[in-house]
Amino acid sequence: MLFRPSRRQIISGMASTGLLMGTGARTAFGQARVQITEGNVAPLPIAIPNFVAGTASDNEVGVGVAQVITNNLKRSGLFAPIDQAAFIEKVTNIDAPPQFQNWKTINAQALVTGRMTRQGDGRLKAEFRLWDVATGQQLTGQQYFTSPEYWRRIAHIISDQIYERLTGEKGYFDSRVVFVDETGAKERRVKRLALMDQDGANVRYLTRGADLVLTPRFSPSTQEITYMEFGQGDPRVYLFNIETGQREIVGNFPGMSFSPRFSPDGQRVIMSLQQGGNSNLFVMDLRSKSTTRLTDTPAIDTSPSYAPDGSRICFESDRGGKPQIYTMAATGGPAQRISFGDGSYSTPVWSPRGDYIAFTKQGGGQFAIGIMKTDGSGERILTAGYHNEGPTFAPNGRVVMFFRDPGGSGGPSLFTVDISGRNEQRVPTPGFASDPAWSPLLS
Amino acid sequence: MKVDKTFAASVALHVLVIGWGLVSFSSKAFVSMPEDSLPVEIISADQLAKVTAGMKSGKKEVKTPLVEKVAEAKPIDDTVGKITEKAPVVTDTTPPPPPPTPVEKPVEKKPDPPKPVAESKPKEEPKPIEKKPDPPKVDPIAEALKKEEPKKPPPKPQAQAAATPPPTPPKPKPERTFDQSKIAALLDKRDPSRNAATGDTLNSNAALGLSKGKAADNSATWGAMFKSQVERCWKKPYGGIEAQMTEAIFSVKLKQDGSLETTPASISNPSTPYFRVYQESALRAIIECQPYKLPAAYFDEWKFFEPVFTERRS
Repeated sequence: MLFRPSRRQIISGMASTGLLMGTGARTAFGQARVQITEGNVAPLPIAIPNFVAGTASDNEVGVGVAQVITNNLKRSGLFAPIDQAAFIEKVTNIDAPPQFQNWKTINAQALVTGRMTRQGDGRLKAEFRLWDVATGQQLTGQQYFTSPEYWRRIAHIISDQIYERLTGEKGYFDSRVVFVDETGAKERRVKRLALMDQDGANVRYLTRGADLVLTPRFSPSTQEITYMEFGQGDPRVYLFNIETGQREIVGNFPGMSFSPRFSPDGQRVIMSLQQGGNSNLFVMDLRSKSTTRLTDTPAIDTSPSYAPDGSRICFESDRGGKPQIYTMAATGGPAQRISFGDGSYSTPVWSPRGDYIAFTKQGGGQFAIGIMKTDGSGERILTAGYHNEGPTFAPNGRVVMFFRDPGGSGGPSLFTVDISGRNEQRVPTPGFASDPAWSPLLS
Repeated sequence: MKVDKTFAASVALHVLVIGWGLVSFSSKAFVSMPEDSLPVEIISADQLAKVTAGMKSGKKEVKTPLVEKVAEAKPIDDTVGKITEKAPVVTDTTPPPPPPTPVEKPVEKKPDPPKPVAESKPKEEPKPIEKKPDPPKVDPIAEALKKEEPKKPPPKPQAQAAATPPPTPPKPKPERTFDQSKIAALLDKRDPSRNAATGDTLNSNAALGLSKGKAADNSATWGAMFKSQVERCWKKPYGGIEAQMTEAIFSVKLKQDGSLETTPASISNPSTPYFRVYQESALRAIIECQPYKLPAAYFDEWKFFEPVFTERRS
């Protein structure tokens, strides 16, 4: 049997052969390449001189802004701010490029210069520039106007800009944390809802402490909080408006409702409803007040949390015997168990970045905070001890906040830890504190 | 036009095999794989000849390479015995050690380390202790003390062991006085007991050598040297999950002294903020770490090359 290729087929066959040879040969004529793989993941040395005062009265705020930025970047663990005492050059004019040699000498890799000026209309103008010391390039520069009492907020926003430009990730400094403030003797703790900046400044109390409050959660709009309160009857889920101070009960259910959380769009609240000895997951639309059942099992299903795109949820269930973490579609349906380690897993929370789920793991007499990928692989314990609980992600998903109770006569306090497990830091609070929830970015 | 089908199949198969060979064998040819720069070198006879050939910067008066000299270095004997030698501990409560035999005598006696078993018994008694470990070499400390309270030199250790009565309770020693002039006596005057056996002294005195002398001193490849130097300056950003596929390529031009001729140009184009930050961190490292110490013999190769900063593990 004969096979007759046309002339065109032969030519195209030859051409493709040539092409094949050509691509092989082309790569062979480059410059020599050297692969470099082992850098140090080390904090970046950065110099943050006090911001220049536009007028004499702005000196204090210029120093304050530099301090807040320094503190923010230092606490992140990714930057090593250089002590101002080591500075050789004093920045007096931010419009001219600095003498980079002076900053190279003290090993700074980045430099922040800025100026605070009180305007004629009473507002405060904040300007800053971020410089790359090695190349002498300006990496970013911005100016903001605000009323003078919000200078801290401006410092947080500038911190976010620096963080984002130097790490390639979104920042998280311009955010707040709601938590349960605890005061008084161990037997008669007064628990109040409190709100603060992520660095512990500007603490505000939202409730008086007459009733027990638990598990506060931010709405994406950051103006509303949902939480659980033990009032006169059963514990109920409440909605609280930070600005107006108004609060209302979410739904009107016969039994106990608990562990609420907002959906990413802020339109719905997902929570557990008690039904006899069991509890199931329900989602309620805040506008129409319609309620949808998501699970129907003879087990305790609780602590639901949405993925950032709202398509899936993770939750805790003891349907397999011990409490474990499951995921399922946000509209209900079959659930997949994703936690398989020793011990029991609870309080799952989906990272705003979508890559990890943080959890509390109990086993061997210890409570640990850990993260795993959303399919349950890559489990990593970030901290373990007598009692650690209630993880919540920073808006960029890089940092986890939780509370730790050392046991004994003391009380719990808040900590942050990087998702790599490094850089554990205590968050300053006025008294004992538990149940933190991190807000999304404010701007 | 008629073509046999088997012939066509044969052509196709050949093309496939040759094409595959071209692609898979040629594409990696110029990538310098990461390798560690270790101080261990395997030197061939040819390289040894080059290394010992001499250097142009050598001193004129050294006429020939010194390697032959090293070959006939004095033998190192009895290193162990010498190193364990130890001055007896002198405290206020122990009686002064018997002064060693005079300097002239001992030298020949050195080699025999005393049998340990026999001497270990009388340990509780201070006297024998000093006798045993005392190789006849001069003990400077003891000598210094000897001058203070002269004693007749004791006979040979063995004999004395039997002869001496059990030690009497130590008589109070005279007050210690600090004499500046005796500080010198406390110095360890023993010969150094270790010598380098080989290697690093090979060409320490560079000779002018022969006309062909041209070798570089280090045969580790320059690529590994550059890598180890630039990595020390590179503070790479932490990128989490999405960092795994980043790669930044630069073209670098170096001057003869190892400093940058121009600012390195990046060949890759950053597509994400993290990639941009990654690339900037690498650029910062290249600039900060200059000048690079690279073997001058390979200057033609490293004056213009492309370092690849990558997270892809091959």
